[in-house]
Amino acid sequence: MILSYQASTFLDREEQDVNDSKPASTDAAGALAEIQRRQAQVIDAVLVPGWYWWVVAVAMVAIGAAADTKRPVVLAVAIPVAVLVIAGLTVGMIVGAYRRVQVHSRTLLGGRGAIAIVGLDWLVVGVGLGTAFGLRAAGSRIPGTIGTTAGAVVLVIAGPAVMRYLRGLMLSQRAGGTAWSWRRQSAGSISDPEPGPAE
Amino acid sequence: MTARFDELIHAPTRLAIVSLLAAAQWADFKFLRDELSLSDSALSKQLSTLEAAGYVHIRKGFVGKRPRTSARLTTAGRRAFEGHVAALQKLVARPMLIVPEPAGRGSGQGDRGTPPRAD
Repeated sequence: MILSYQASTFLDREEQDVNDSKPASTDAAGALAEIQRRQAQVIDAVLVPGWYWWVVAVAMVAIGAAADTKRPVVLAVAIPVAVLVIAGLTVGMIVGAYRRVQVHSRTLLGGRGAIAIVGLDWLVVGVGLGTAFGLRAAGSRIPGTIGTTAGAVVLVIAGPAVMRYLRGLMLSQRAGGTAWSWRRQSAGSISDPEPGPAE
Repeated sequence: MTARFDELIHAPTRLAIVSLLAAAQWADFKFLRDELSLSDSALSKQLSTLEAAGYVHIRKGFVGKRPRTSARLTTAGRRAFEGHVAALQKLVARPMLIVPEPAGRGSGQGDRGTPPRAD
């Protein structure tokens, strides 16, 4: 009697039905955590790994250093090898990721993601070439090495940062996005059922 | 988005599969198997269940001479997944039921929602 009164006081009919067939909120939170973890797995599978930036950075510096030697044999060997390493690695990674899983790039990344990727390219090229030409004009003996080193430093710092940004962007744009609930839970409040804006 | 709890999707293994597929356009069978740490047969069984429900489309083809199987969520599957996520979010957001202790037991503090007493 007491129980039925309490139930009718605190739950409406629909919620009583819900309680019979649906998991408790703790189970639901666990399921949402599982969903987020699995979706992050997919996004991590298509993002560039950290070591990629270091390999490309080393190859860039090799190109710059080879250019500074001005020796035809070094130029003929080192530059094609470095370019092949960068191109082969990039193509291999894209094709490998594409074979395993394809994501809705346009939906997940959108305009902001594209701007971030293009911006990274322009930043690295701009810093590298700007430094190299500036140093050459100033009479430096190794403008290529220093210029590409500057570009490489930018790459190994900004590359992973852009990947972190893209990861957050893709997680917020994914189907059935649940990012709002994790923010609220971490803030100690889960009382507002309305999803917040995308991160 | 209509919140709709989906028993078929909520089973742990299928929830994991659908969650992976929801973030992807297509996913390779091997990718799913490795990410979920499932055997080929276990994954095949779950994918068949989801396919029978109309939630997953399975594509079989060849890359060279190697057979290659991929899976994707159908529109119905994506809709069901999003409805299921919305239902889970509602469950999480729902205020917890606090059952007041019978009179004479406990201090009565924190019994938000206690019905008025007749005394």
